[in-house]
Amino acid sequence: MELELKEIVKSFGGKRVLEGISFTVKSGRAFGLLGRNGAGKTTTIRILMDVFPADSGEIRVDGKTVDYGMIGLGYLPEERGLYPKKKILDQLVYFAELKGMKKADAMKAVRHWLARLGMEEYAGKKLDTLSKGNQQKIQLITALAHDPDIIILDEPFSGLDPVNAMLLKDVVKEEIGRGKIVLFSSHQMNYIEEFCDSIAILKEGKIALCGELHQIKRNYRRDRLIVRSEQAEQIAAGFPADACEVLESGELLIRLSSPEKKQETMQFLTNNYDMDEIKVFEPSLNDIFVEYAGGERQEEKDEAV
Amino acid sequence: MKQFKTIFMFEFANYLKNKIFVGVTAVLVIVLAAVMFFPRVMEALEGGSSPDTERTEEAQDQEISGEKEAPGKESAGELPVMLIFSGDGSGELIKEAFTAAFPEYDIRTADRLEDIKEQISSGGAECAFAFDSLVSYTYYVNNLSLYDNNTYTADEVLQTVYRKNEMISHGMSEEEASGILSIQIEHGTENLGKDQRENFFYTYIMIFALYFVIILYGQMVATNVAAEKSSRAMEVLITSAKPVSMMFGKVLASCLAGFLQLFCIFGSAFLFFALNKSYWGDNMIINSIFNMPLNLLVYMLLFFVLGFFIYAFLFGAVGSTVSKLEDINTAIMPLTIMFVIAFMVVMMSMTSGSVDNMLMVVCSYFPFTSPMAMFTRIAMSTVPWYQIAISVVLLIGAVFGVGVVSAKIYRAGVLLYGTAPKPGALLKSVWKAE
Repeated sequence: MELELKEIVKSFGGKRVLEGISFTVKSGRAFGLLGRNGAGKTTTIRILMDVFPADSGEIRVDGKTVDYGMIGLGYLPEERGLYPKKKILDQLVYFAELKGMKKADAMKAVRHWLARLGMEEYAGKKLDTLSKGNQQKIQLITALAHDPDIIILDEPFSGLDPVNAMLLKDVVKEEIGRGKIVLFSSHQMNYIEEFCDSIAILKEGKIALCGELHQIKRNYRRDRLIVRSEQAEQIAAGFPADACEVLESGELLIRLSSPEKKQETMQFLTNNYDMDEIKVFEPSLNDIFVEYAGGERQEEKDEAV
Repeated sequence: MKQFKTIFMFEFANYLKNKIFVGVTAVLVIVLAAVMFFPRVMEALEGGSSPDTERTEEAQDQEISGEKEAPGKESAGELPVMLIFSGDGSGELIKEAFTAAFPEYDIRTADRLEDIKEQISSGGAECAFAFDSLVSYTYYVNNLSLYDNNTYTADEVLQTVYRKNEMISHGMSEEEASGILSIQIEHGTENLGKDQRENFFYTYIMIFALYFVIILYGQMVATNVAAEKSSRAMEVLITSAKPVSMMFGKVLASCLAGFLQLFCIFGSAFLFFALNKSYWGDNMIINSIFNMPLNLLVYMLLFFVLGFFIYAFLFGAVGSTVSKLEDINTAIMPLTIMFVIAFMVVMMSMTSGSVDNMLMVVCSYFPFTSPMAMFTRIAMSTVPWYQIAISVVLLIGAVFGVGVVSAKIYRAGVLLYGTAPKPGALLKSVWKAE
C-alpha cells in the first residue's frame, strides 16, 4: 500500500495554513512529520483523517483517490483525552464500534490490546482513576484496536516512563513489521531517528525538507570538521574567527569555505598539530530540524536546497 | 447509518446508567405515589375502613362540610374568638348577622374599645370589628394573613343588613325585604368550544412539562457536547465519526430519554390515579387533569418531539462552540432567555384567559415559540385545522433547517479551542466551509 498526499492546500478564514503539502509513505514504513508548533502538522493530519476537506490537492492510496470506507485509520491525537467518567472497557469498545467493528469483534480486540499493554486489571475502572501514562496507553488502544492500515501517532512518547516507552516502541515496531503505514509527529528527535525511514519538515505550511533520512544526512553539506586536540586554541587562531566554534564537549567545530577543502585541511591539521581525533561533522536530526524548521539562517537554507 | 446507531445506543445507555437521571425519575414517581395515595392513607389512618360504595358519599359529605371550615382548624376543638364592639348599640344585631356569616369563629361582644386591642395582643381573640355605625368599622387583627377575607365577608353582611333595615323603614315587611335580597338568578351555560375552567390545569401541567423537559434536556445536550470537547474526547470522536451522526445521535438519544422520563412520570400518575380514583371523590383539579382528552396527548407528543428537536439542535451547536465547561452557561443564555420569554408569553396569556390574542397567534406560527403557543391554543381554545397545519409544517421545516445549520456549526465548532467565536464570525466560517 502506498499513501500519497499531493499538493494539499488549506486556508482558514483567508489565512493560508497549508501551501502545497506533498509526500509519499509506503507500507511497512514509518514516516516522520516534523515542524515547529503551528507549522501545519495537525491540519495536515486532520485533512488526512477527513475531518475537513482540503481546498485543493488530493490524497491517494495506491494511485487512486482515497476511499475512506475502504481504508482504516487510527489516530492518537496530541491532545489526549477520552471520557473521564466512563468505564474503560465500555468506551474502548464504543470507539472501536465507531470505526466500523462489530460489537463482539470490538470486545475481543480491546481485550487483546488491554492484555498486550498490561492494562487488563483496569478494564472495569473509570478512566480518571488512572495515572496520566496509563491513560495514554488506554488512548493508544483507540488508535490500534480496529487494526487500521494507517496509524497516525502525534507525540506518542510524551509523558511515558522509560518502561512504558519501551513497551510502546515494541508495539510500534510490531505494527511496522505487520506492514502498516505509521505516521509519526513528534518533537523528540531521537524517536524519529529510531523509527522513521523518511521525514518531512513543515515550515509555515510548506514542506521545507522531505526525503529519506539517511539520504538527507548524507547530502548534508560536508564542509565542517570536528577536531579534538590539546592545541585547539592554536588551531583556531589559524582560521577566521567566525569559522570556528568551541562545542560544549570541548571539541572544535571548523566551518570551511567549501566542502572540497576538507581533505586538504585535514591533511594540514594532522601534519602540523598534535591531533587526538579529526572527522567530518555528521548532523543529527536535531541539527537538521533546527536549521530547516527554525526561523534563522534563511540564506543557509536556501543554499542547501 | 451504523455509526449513527452506535452513537445513539451509546448516548441512550449513558442516560440509563446515569444515577441522577434514574434517581430523579424514581423520586418523582415516589412523590406522585405519595400524593395520589394521600387521601387513601388519610382515610385509613382516621379508621374509616368502610366499603367503597359508602366512601364516595362520605367523601362528598366531608367535602361539603369541609368547605366552610377554615383551613387548619379542627372542627371539634374550640373556635377562634372574634370580638365585636359597637358604639351605637347595634351590637346584638351585628352579632346575630355575623354568627351566621362566620361559622368558623366564636363571636363575642366587647364592652370597651381598649379591651379589643388588649385581647388581640394577648392572643385571647384572633380578630375584632369596632363599629362607629352600621356602615363604618375598623378591623383589628394581630397578623393579617394573605388569605384573610373577613372584611370582604363583613362588608357583604353589613350591606345586606343595612339594605334590609332601610327597606323595612320604608314600609316593606321583613319577609318582602328578605325575599328581594336573597333572590337567586338561575342560569345555564352551553359551551360550544372548550371549557377553560376544565382544561386550564392539564394545559398548565403539560406546558410546564414541555418547558422543563426541553430546557433540561437541551442544557444536557449542550453540556455533553462541551464536556466531550473540554475532555478532548472530541479529538478522537471527530476523527472516528461524522459530525452529523454525532449530532443527531445525541439529540435523538436525549429525546428518547426525555420521552421515557415523561412516560414514566405521566404513566405512573395515571396508574396511581386509577388505583385511588374513588378516594379522590370529586376533587375538581385532580379530575380535570386526569380527564384530559386523548387527542391532546397526541398533540402534546407531536409538539414535544418537534420543539425538543429544534432546541436540542441549537443547544448542541452552542455547546460545540465553547471549549471550557464553565463557559457553557453564558453561551446558552440567549437560547434559554428566548425559551423563557416564549414560556412567559404563553403562561400570561393562559392566566389572562385570552389565549387567542395577537401575540399568541404570532407566537403559534413562529417555530421557536409555536410548540408551546400552538399547543396552548389547541388545548384551551378552538383553532381552525389549517392554522394547526401551517404551524406544524413551519415547525417541521424549521427543525430540518436548524438541524442542518446546527450540524454545520457543530462541525466548525468542535475543533475550535480558545475564546468562543462571535456568532457572526462563526456563521461566516460555517458558510465558507461548504
